[in-house]
Amino acid sequence: MNIEFWIFSDTWLILVLSYFIVTLSLNLEAGYTGIPNFGKALFVFMGAWAAQGIGIRLAALFMQHYDPKDSSLLVERLNSMLGQNYHSLVEAAGSTEANRIVAPHIYDFLFAHPALDITLFIVILLVTLGLAAAMGLIASYAALRLREEYLAILLLSFSELVVMVIFNQTDSLNGGPKGLWAVEFYPDNRLFALILGAVISLLVFIYAERLGNSPMGRTMRAVRDDEVAAGVFGRDVAMTRLKVIMISSMIAALAGLVYIEAKPSAQTLTFNRVIWTFFPWAFLILGGMANNKGAIVGVLVFMVLKRFVEFYVPQMAAGHSAAIQMLAAYLSNIIVGLLILLVLYFRPQGVLPEKPSKTMDLDVVLEETK
Amino acid sequence: MAFLEVKSLNAGYGRFHILFDVDFTVNMGEILVVVGPNGSGKSTTLKAIFGISTVYSGQIIFDGEDITKLPAHIKAKIGLAYLPQTSNVFTELNVEENLRMAGYTLPPEDVEDRMQEVLEIFEFLKAKLKDKARTLSGGQRQLLGMAMMLMRKPDLLMFDEPTAGLSPKAARDVIDKIIWLRDELGKAVILVEQNAKLGLEVGDNALLLVSGRISFKGTARELLENKDLGKLYLGLAK
Amino acid sequence: MGFLPNGTFVMASIAYASALGLLSMGLSLTFVTTRIANFAHATIGMIGAFVLTLLVDRVYYTGPSYQIFITAPVLSFLLAGAFAVFMYIVIMKPLADRGNGVTELMIATFAVDIILINILSYLLNAIRGVHIPKLIGLNVSSWDARIHCCGVILQASYIVLPIAAILLTLAFHFFLTKTKFGVAMRATIENPDLAEVMGVNTNMVYTVSWFISGGLAGVAGSLLAFSLKDTSPNDSALIIVSVFAGSIVGGLSHVYWGLIGGFIVGLMEKLGTGLLDNFYNQLLAPALGWTSFSMINYEKLMSLGLVVVILLFAPEGLAGVDWGKYLRKIKRRW
Ligand SMILES: Nc1ncnc2c1ncn2[C@@H]1O[C@H](COP(=O)(O)OP(=O)(O)OP(=O)(O)O)[C@@H](O)[C@H]1O
Ligand SMILES: [Mg+2]
Repeated sequence: MNIEFWIFSDTWLILVLSYFIVTLSLNLEAGYTGIPNFGKALFVFMGAWAAQGIGIRLAALFMQHYDPKDSSLLVERLNSMLGQNYHSLVEAAGSTEANRIVAPHIYDFLFAHPALDITLFIVILLVTLGLAAAMGLIASYAALRLREEYLAILLLSFSELVVMVIFNQTDSLNGGPKGLWAVEFYPDNRLFALILGAVISLLVFIYAERLGNSPMGRTMRAVRDDEVAAGVFGRDVAMTRLKVIMISSMIAALAGLVYIEAKPSAQTLTFNRVIWTFFPWAFLILGGMANNKGAIVGVLVFMVLKRFVEFYVPQMAAGHSAAIQMLAAYLSNIIVGLLILLVLYFRPQGVLPEKPSKTMDLDVVLEETK
Repeated sequence: MAFLEVKSLNAGYGRFHILFDVDFTVNMGEILVVVGPNGSGKSTTLKAIFGISTVYSGQIIFDGEDITKLPAHIKAKIGLAYLPQTSNVFTELNVEENLRMAGYTLPPEDVEDRMQEVLEIFEFLKAKLKDKARTLSGGQRQLLGMAMMLMRKPDLLMFDEPTAGLSPKAARDVIDKIIWLRDELGKAVILVEQNAKLGLEVGDNALLLVSGRISFKGTARELLENKDLGKLYLGLAK
Repeated sequence: MGFLPNGTFVMASIAYASALGLLSMGLSLTFVTTRIANFAHATIGMIGAFVLTLLVDRVYYTGPSYQIFITAPVLSFLLAGAFAVFMYIVIMKPLADRGNGVTELMIATFAVDIILINILSYLLNAIRGVHIPKLIGLNVSSWDARIHCCGVILQASYIVLPIAAILLTLAFHFFLTKTKFGVAMRATIENPDLAEVMGVNTNMVYTVSWFISGGLAGVAGSLLAFSLKDTSPNDSALIIVSVFAGSIVGGLSHVYWGLIGGFIVGLMEKLGTGLLDNFYNQLLAPALGWTSFSMINYEKLMSLGLVVVILLFAPEGLAGVDWGKYLRKIKRRW
């Protein structure tokens, strides 16, 4: 699939959908519960990793198991071609040299076996959620003990270091600097990512809206606004924070899964702090904390502006001297940075401020408790 | 004109409006005692005058000059001094450094002399010059805070419960010092005192704050003799 | 003892650790004064690397010179310090005055980071006459003077960096304890309101703390650039993580502990990884018949490990550890 709407492309659209998901999940943590999660990139990466380093090997395992003849044939050909000595398809799929060669064969195998394909998708979905939950557990260990700024810094460093270590791991984990191609589930992978992204965004939005107005949502706000009082009122602050971090981590990882399906060859370092931590924070601040619609508006407004800048600034320089064209390339990044500073300066409350949560009418409560 | 004039002061902390239309004056050679229940805004009043809480409206006129909008460190330079109720010394600095900080606005050549004068008054500090202030006892810290007030010679001194946590004898010494400041040096003093009886006995004028509003303004003697207010707010029996 | 690394490697590790120490110290400084976690800190250090490149390209192009070890750090200190002051006064303070909280201010430093990286990259390309927006390495290491000493050849910057770190720390300590303004800075860190009441212009103190912080970063960046091969302004994105790791290990609440934390992280990343690599590949693997593999790419794993250990056992960092208790315990033993 290849849609092109004015200056907005399908990859742009998928990125925006991924951002919806991450920003909504960040809103649950930072907006509603006051947990400054500056490690979002790590959780997003878990979704990508599940489909890349882990997913492609799982797919190879499936193929090896259900089609041993073709698999060993493929490995043999590969060995003679590359002069390597791979013992199994899984090993080949996980090595940087062979990955790009075997991946298309694995895709074809999956497309030809829809039942296996769907099963694998569900397995990888579960892996994504499981990895994110595990990382969330580690993060919550810190979140229950540290105060705001310290926690933010720690999560950021933790996230960057983990991603960097996996990045530098030349072979085993995620293909090192080159990266491994992720498993694909449908011949038109971008269409698949688009639909997946749209469905997940919608579900997450509905879930976040409901959560915000539920008793749990009120507890979250109470935890954010006054930890001490919330504790005194018998609401378990630690439990609430833990739950919120786990849920948000899992949601954020789904964004990574969506994104990697659109760009199966993305490098590990694509999941860095600027793209997946800093931008979602900027969207949230622009849109307004603790407001799900605001989060959506924030993503849209910012991404559209960013696209305009990235598109038109180089355009304006076209035809000028090489030096000016070079300046333009850097300038568009600088303008995006300035945009964020302006947002912070003019909109500390965001475009859409937090609205009071819906509570039951006192009369109704009295009536019911009679 | 009064030395310090506070006109319809509204102040608080950010969104929390604490003080409502507070008016009063203090003259040179006079002690104004501020009393009131806990949380009534006594400390906030002093902070507002010094500019370390938010002033929404009103005027503070010091020595004929409107100082409402001046930053706090300038106020220190032109002769205001304030002893906070808590955290009134730098615990991570040693005693000598604390005293030097208190003389921050003095010309460098005066600092040594002032320090010697102050150490003559608070003799126990001499042996502790190199000790971190956090190793002092609560009462000793209070006295160090008092010593710091005297380092530069301010014209208006504001004390926020200077006798809290002191032994009766030390408390008496502090109060005597404050009387000395008024009588011998002719300073203007605002004294917030939890011990209403002690405060009102030495004060000239008095202010009773309740919930951020003035509910009595007059001479200290009048307030001391006002049975109703005394019983209601100050725990002055009979 | 064949697995012990050679002298050059040890000195290179100490030099890197010294640079990280200076960077972490500066990061902790602006954090304790203004409560701003500055993610642009390493890029401010890159201003130093930029100054060095400029000097190499335009002044010392004939070859290595010892003069550069004075001019580069001094100019870098001033320029990086000036940028940090600009950042504080023009960007951070107005944002803080508008009611932005800790997290919003962190975002702002991210934005400044993006802006500064792009400005530096542009200037570097423009100065070197490159007209396509690609990353170009500074490649200045061959301008570093070589010292032949004790049977090894050392880059001079390996020696200058630790010395600079020691001198700057001593100077900073002297400033904090012996000058009026330095004592005022310590007072402000502890209790800004009380410092104001004593007549200290705390905003001035904050501004100076940003100047010192930026200056230290500039010195570290200018001298470190000698030993980083192929470094470009973007490399700050990798370095900043180690700088924060250093400050976290130190505890973020204390300037000197930041220095120590940064030094430990730097030493672990280089020397620790190197030792482990030698130990495994030269002793363990041959002895046990295991396959050898290079660990040099895993240096960030060391900082990650340190951060995790600190998080588990001393969430307040090394500054929060009750060292007196352990000292007493040891004394009792003996
Ligand atoms: N930093 C602050 N932020 C918000 N509210 C504050 C702050 N400090 C004090 N308050 C509130 O302002 C009100 C007045 O406080 P203040 O300290 O002026 O009382 P006070 O009369 O000095 O009491 P006390 O006798 O206990 O010292 C109190 O309700 C308190 O909760
Ligand atoms: Mg008080």
